[in-house]
Amino acid sequence: MTSIVQNFRNLALSIKQNGGLYRSILQLYRVDEIKEGEYIGTDRNGNRYYQNKRFFVGRSRWVIYNEKYGLDYDGTHVDPEWHGWLHYVRDDPPTVKPPITYKWVTPNPQENKTGTPDNYVPYSTVKPKIEAWVPKSNKK
Amino acid sequence: MNKLIINSSKKLLSSSLNKNILKSQTALLSNVVPDNRIEVFVDDKPVLVQPGVTVLQACAEAGVEIPRFCYHERLAIAGNCRMCLVEIERTPKPVASCAMPVMKGMKIKTDSPVTRKAREGVMEFMLVNHPLDCPVCDQGGECDLQDQAMAFGSDRSRFTDNLFSGKRATEDKNLGPLVKTSMNRCIHCTRCVRFASEVAGVDDLGTTGRGNDMQIGTYVEKLLASEVSGNVIDLCPVGALTSKPYAFTARPWELRKISSIDVLDALGSNIVVQHRAGDVMRILPRLNEDINEEWLDDKARFSYDGLRRQRLVTPMVRGHDGLLKPCEWDDAFYAIADKLSRASGSQIAALAGGLADAESLVALKDLMNRLGSENVFVEESFPGQASGTDLRSNYVANSGITNLEQADLVLLVGTNPRYEAPLYNTRIRKSLVHNELKVALIGSQVNLSYEYDYLGDSAQILEDLLNGKHEYSKFLAKAKKPLIVLGSAALQRKDGDALLNLATRLSEKLRTQNGCPNDWRVFNVLHRWASQVAALDIGYRSGIEQIKAQKPKILYLLGADEDLVSRVDGDDTFIIYQGHHGDRGAEIADVVLPGAAYTEKSATYVNTEGRAQQASFVVAPPGKAKEDWQILRALSDVLGNPLPYDDLDALRKRMGEVSPTLTSYDKIESASFLPLSVSLSQKVKPALSKEPIRAWQTELGDFYMTNPISRASLTMARCVQSFKKTNEPVKQTQANANP
Amino acid sequence: MSLLVRNFSKLNPLGSIRSYSEVVNVFGRRSVDTQAADEKKTIATIPENTESVKEVSGHPEVHLTGRLAKIYVPPKNSMQSGTFGTRRWRIDFDNRDRWENPLMGWGSSGDPLSSLQPEFGSKEDAIVYCQRMGFRYVVEEEREIKRRIKSYGANYSWNKRTRVSTK
Repeated sequence: MTSIVQNFRNLALSIKQNGGLYRSILQLYRVDEIKEGEYIGTDRNGNRYYQNKRFFVGRSRWVIYNEKYGLDYDGTHVDPEWHGWLHYVRDDPPTVKPPITYKWVTPNPQENKTGTPDNYVPYSTVKPKIEAWVPKSNKK
Repeated sequence: MNKLIINSSKKLLSSSLNKNILKSQTALLSNVVPDNRIEVFVDDKPVLVQPGVTVLQACAEAGVEIPRFCYHERLAIAGNCRMCLVEIERTPKPVASCAMPVMKGMKIKTDSPVTRKAREGVMEFMLVNHPLDCPVCDQGGECDLQDQAMAFGSDRSRFTDNLFSGKRATEDKNLGPLVKTSMNRCIHCTRCVRFASEVAGVDDLGTTGRGNDMQIGTYVEKLLASEVSGNVIDLCPVGALTSKPYAFTARPWELRKISSIDVLDALGSNIVVQHRAGDVMRILPRLNEDINEEWLDDKARFSYDGLRRQRLVTPMVRGHDGLLKPCEWDDAFYAIADKLSRASGSQIAALAGGLADAESLVALKDLMNRLGSENVFVEESFPGQASGTDLRSNYVANSGITNLEQADLVLLVGTNPRYEAPLYNTRIRKSLVHNELKVALIGSQVNLSYEYDYLGDSAQILEDLLNGKHEYSKFLAKAKKPLIVLGSAALQRKDGDALLNLATRLSEKLRTQNGCPNDWRVFNVLHRWASQVAALDIGYRSGIEQIKAQKPKILYLLGADEDLVSRVDGDDTFIIYQGHHGDRGAEIADVVLPGAAYTEKSATYVNTEGRAQQASFVVAPPGKAKEDWQILRALSDVLGNPLPYDDLDALRKRMGEVSPTLTSYDKIESASFLPLSVSLSQKVKPALSKEPIRAWQTELGDFYMTNPISRASLTMARCVQSFKKTNEPVKQTQANANP
Repeated sequence: MSLLVRNFSKLNPLGSIRSYSEVVNVFGRRSVDTQAADEKKTIATIPENTESVKEVSGHPEVHLTGRLAKIYVPPKNSMQSGTFGTRRWRIDFDNRDRWENPLMGWGSSGDPLSSLQPEFGSKEDAIVYCQRMGFRYVVEEEREIKRRIKSYGANYSWNKRTRVSTK
């Protein structure tokens, strides 16, 4: 009996945290679930990170992507600093314990470009077998 | 292992092989009296052989192959490798079969315990100093030593002392850009030395020291200055001499081998083109007794890297800015069609180059005729004032290449066969060495690699010989089987007509007055280009002057790269170039159509003897390039006047209609119209020029780069460079003064 | 090893129905690939020379029609001195287009016959093979090898040009 009550309370909390019924339905549409949890921080892309230890490990930390991504959010939008915390590599989020920055770490990480016009196309680095003739610029 | 190989050979023998052996025996029979032959026994099997042949040859007649390293069918007997030891009954020791002449009733045992032990012992000696570097050796997989060690060798050596002293180490020699040496591997068979001195006629290679200290080398470091030097790579039974351009690029078992013919000179040498993954990796000679025997000249063998450089891979059209721009086939064709629609037939001319195949020559001529033009010319000119190109006997080497070995006197006129057709020259040399052939030369005094009688360089000499006024006439008159070889370079002169006239008349005079055999032909033309005989067969004429005078509106160049026409000749001429290399022709063209080189099409070429042969499709033409006849067929379609052949078979049928000789492959059609030609030529009396007759190429440096393919080849460029660097002009001559 | 059937109709009273025991392999040997000759029971009927086996060969039609087979005796490999390779008749098919694999750069081909070089004991066997497979064929006749009489003494003859100049 208590669990049902609890569930309703959690649902109500979730709806409240998500900013009302309308926004909650929107969120449900976007990420297929609504969860209540403790807000941990926001990364430089505007993604918001949450934690709720009530859920088991693997479900207890999550990200709500910035609304600017719409439905096209992608795993690579997660900031590398937050990636460690989100995937349980680190215990503390970067807000608590900033990660060590090495000089080889890129200052502006890029999202995955696959499927976009900017995607990477492999090219051959081998010299072509046939060397084509290039006409001299001799004019008539 | 040993037994296994012998057994399988016997099984093979028992079936169809007997037929072959019988055939070869009857071949020998036909020219000797049968009673002459003596009977010997090879492994208790009786075999009849001519007296004087060696034991090794007798065994070959019987179908038993004796292992050998130093012995080579086409070189002198050396007898120094001892691998061919066999037991002969009633001899105290095993006998070196390559040097031993047969005697009546000899009982040869090629698989007895004594023979096997002898071979095993020789092999053990051979391997004392041979490095075990087969995995990094280029000969691996096609090495006689490797194979014979497997078949006849022991599995271990008793020479354990080199565990302490190491194997013999020999310095590698630098023989130039073609032959790579690794002298540690040398087993002192001296095949290379014998080849250089006997066949190539250069005494560059030799041995120093003796016994274990013997070394093969050039005495002082120098280029192996021969136009046929690549053959020592083939001859080397081990990996001591390997190909430098091919080094470490492929293994023999990876290569696909396709029989084809060479087109870089007019002999049509038979070759095997070996390719892997769309790349021609190397070119080797293919045995053909009638043309190149087992040899191949360096240009044919090593210029294959030119097939990958400077290629035309896409059609190009000259834009408004005067630059050639890549485009699609349609654009190029429409650009041509646009120009052609505004030109009348007489304003169109075609010029074919030296590497064009008979298929595209026929297609081009048909296309030109359909456009109403009769102006089809060939770059290499041939005099046509008298009967000229109408009679085939005027422009082919009538006596063929093999008959050089029967001749007793060869008169070379205005040619240097050593560089124009190196394998023709080795044939002359072979006959000179073995049959006491006499050679005389009119033209530049060049080094032919053998002694000859130099008559001078004036064209007048030919006339004097004809009239019997020259002192050499008495030698000509005595010759029972004389040959006259007229170089086509001499026919490019203004008095080419006169030279041809004199040479044919002299030939006919010798033939009728010297009592030659009935089927003996005296007159030969030695061409420089592979396409020439086919072009003349098809009806192309020489007419550079005509083109220059006419200034045609449209000029179609089919692989014409010899710089004979230029922009200056016709400023408003629309030039179409079809060919495979970006060379002199493509430079001046308004439209460039990329065609196929000789390894990229199935095509017919007729060699200087008039023998039609097919080159094979080996790799696909690069990029958008197409086979040449297909381009002409497609162009004719765009012009709304399609040629009536859709495939190669139909085209070859048409070729047969134009000239049956073009499709009777590998046969020489004997042309016997020389008397007629002479009677026609007597009516014309062209004047001789005072200018001395010069050879096209006088030294080795000239030989390497003569056509678009070899000009694009880096290997050939390296050869020219190293020739210049060694600064060793081969100009000094061994020729005698006038006798 | 492809098996071929020689026409034994003269020997066999049964005419076209012949047994496996009469199969002759390509080298003309009858010792291998055959069954005991004394069993007279017919196991299977082997088609006549003229009968086509094209349909059952398993080759795609596109690779059978229009193919030109060259029947020839392979010449001696110029790199080696052995001649056993020149004792058989071989078939080469006309070379078809090959291309470079765009991913790895390997040589590719769509032609299953490009790696096939069947060898036969005699020219006739090869011709029968071509006829039954429906290939067009050309026969390149065997070239006669000319042997010249050589003597070791020629190296030292005082009046001949065969005398060796270098050693």
